[in-house]
Amino acid sequence: MKLGDVRQRSAVSLAVIIVATIVALLIAPTTRNGVAIAIALDVAVACLATLTFPGLRSSHPVVARAALSLLGVVAVLFVAFFLPSASDFNLATGAAMSIVLLGLSFLTGASGQISLGNSAFMGVGAFTMAIWANHHATTPIFVTLLISVVAGALVGLLLGLPATRLRGPYLAGMTLAFAVAFTAILGEFSSWTGGDSGLQLPTEAKPPHWLISLFHSGTSPLTTSTLWLTDISIVVAGVAFFFMANLFASRTGRAMRLIRDNDVAAELVGISLPRARVIAFVVSSAYAALGGALWTLIDNSVSPPTYSFALSVTILSLIVIGGIGTISGALIGGVIYAYSTNVISWIVNQTGLNPQGNFASQLNGIIFGGLLILTMLFAPLGIAGAVRHFWHRARNRS
Amino acid sequence: MDAFLTSRIIADVLGGLTNGVIYGMVALSLVLIWRSTGVLNFAQGAMPMFATYVGFALLSYHFGYWLCAVAALIVGLAVGGLTERLVVRGLYGKPEINPIVVMVGFLIVLEAVAAAIWSSFPRSLPSPFSSIDWQLGGHPVSLSPFTVYEIGAAIVVMLAVAALFRFTNLGLQLRASALAPEVSRLLGVRVGRLLTLGWMLSTAVGVVTTILVSSNFFTGLTPQVNDGIFAFGFIAAAVGGLESPVGAIVAGVSLGIILQFVQDYLNSNAQIIVALVVLIVALMVRPNGVFTKSSLRRV
Repeated sequence: MKLGDVRQRSAVSLAVIIVATIVALLIAPTTRNGVAIAIALDVAVACLATLTFPGLRSSHPVVARAALSLLGVVAVLFVAFFLPSASDFNLATGAAMSIVLLGLSFLTGASGQISLGNSAFMGVGAFTMAIWANHHATTPIFVTLLISVVAGALVGLLLGLPATRLRGPYLAGMTLAFAVAFTAILGEFSSWTGGDSGLQLPTEAKPPHWLISLFHSGTSPLTTSTLWLTDISIVVAGVAFFFMANLFASRTGRAMRLIRDNDVAAELVGISLPRARVIAFVVSSAYAALGGALWTLIDNSVSPPTYSFALSVTILSLIVIGGIGTISGALIGGVIYAYSTNVISWIVNQTGLNPQGNFASQLNGIIFGGLLILTMLFAPLGIAGAVRHFWHRARNRS
Repeated sequence: MDAFLTSRIIADVLGGLTNGVIYGMVALSLVLIWRSTGVLNFAQGAMPMFATYVGFALLSYHFGYWLCAVAALIVGLAVGGLTERLVVRGLYGKPEINPIVVMVGFLIVLEAVAAAIWSSFPRSLPSPFSSIDWQLGGHPVSLSPFTVYEIGAAIVVMLAVAALFRFTNLGLQLRASALAPEVSRLLGVRVGRLLTLGWMLSTAVGVVTTILVSSNFFTGLTPQVNDGIFAFGFIAAAVGGLESPVGAIVAGVSLGIILQFVQDYLNSNAQIIVALVVLIVALMVRPNGVFTKSSLRRV
């Protein structure tokens, strides 16, 4: 890349940023939250400008991924800003789910293992979050989230050590047994986990004061706690996405893909199979715990039945339909999870089914299970794989 | 040892035996499929559940218990065969997670469809035998006409499967096609048909289990009737080694008895936790199961 080219591009993007800021500041007094719009526009333009640099992806892949993550976060934050509160709540839940899916996608896509224990690992994160918050109410949210992640990673390590010696069906079965046993384990420690009723967070998460004062306190929708929680979820999901994208492309990630494709060859070139399997398992359980901790934060409470085996099945369906082994598949799965309830109740309304009837209440399972089978039989890489396939075909034809 | 302790231990062993033969049969049906097709059938609980619902739908046409049971068995054979032909056949030779995922999907669909048609409320089946325990010296002994029927039926099924594999020409072909499908095919064995037959057999074993469990007065038939039993059955199969039918049954019965003591001396909640610990310990000591000869994997 020529230096002049770089200067030209930087100048253009700087100019666009300045123009966008001026326009936004002009509008600012007439609309609420002009500053927010200005910042969002600026960051988006800066990211886009960075991404259009030719050769950036090969020369500075980490920068490219950071810009892409930031762009995604800003875009979704911007959209969330205008959505109604109920829709924001769905978005936040879906963002947390996409983190869990990223972890499972890494486990399967990178090392060819499969886990049916993700509901339990989510539960570990969710309950760690609630228990810690109840004992140390003053700990900042992000520190508590980190503690939950560490708890999830430790439990993952504990189960991952025997799991490394197991192949496909044994591992799936063992994680299934863990998922089934998890609610019983919660019951055994009811003095910590609150028994059947679960736990309540001591305080509701509220946006910090500087943020409120920045965006015209009181009237701004940014000050509602739902939007604040949505923002947290999206930002955390963005960070998780950034780390995962780097991990996939790293030496470890490449070594794991070799294990998936041919584990004997991987051992022959000197990759330690047990070590790689444990790493993949621990990463996926840490990601699941992060998602679960976010759920506790969003709901402001946690209850044991949420983390039953059925959730593991849902997680598996989402990642398979989205595209197992891919990062974009995890994001697609998160979106599906966020709005599937709305879509299904829309279908029930349109077809005139009795919403309280047996069929309507089982429609979720029938649709998800059916899609799971059809995806695996006819498009094993899910939506992400199908899109990629058609994209390549269209490009090759032209 | 005083009389009370003795009777408590006898009651636990007998009660555990009743549950254990059920776990053993689930484990056996898993092993039958695993050995021949290399698929761990996560829908092993759901397929027989569905067949049992269909068979016992005849109750509303005033058919008796035994006729419904036979009908359920026939439906089970059909469900198993159709599943192998329509769903599983495309999965042989694919990465090992593909069949796992598909069978989990099948499990969801079957449970959802069953709940949609018959609702998720427990449906009580007429029990052919009394579930009231016999008394021994004033103490109930955990043995009733019904549990004798349960254990007896299980033993009959296990002996029938064993006899089929050991003494018949069909059993020889089944074993051959599981052991060396290519060679068997060259020698004129219709391997494809035998795989279908293996799935039919396994589902039929599952139907017997499901009927036994759900004719129990205390549980009844629900779409999720086999979920917990599947977990214990899988643990038994994995501990015994997915390759070994005898190991599956022995592990199932032992697990049943151990868990009965756990329930008696701790609580019923601890059963699945203890089972999980047993599984982890067993797999760490012998990753391929206690009863299998460890074999090298061919590259």
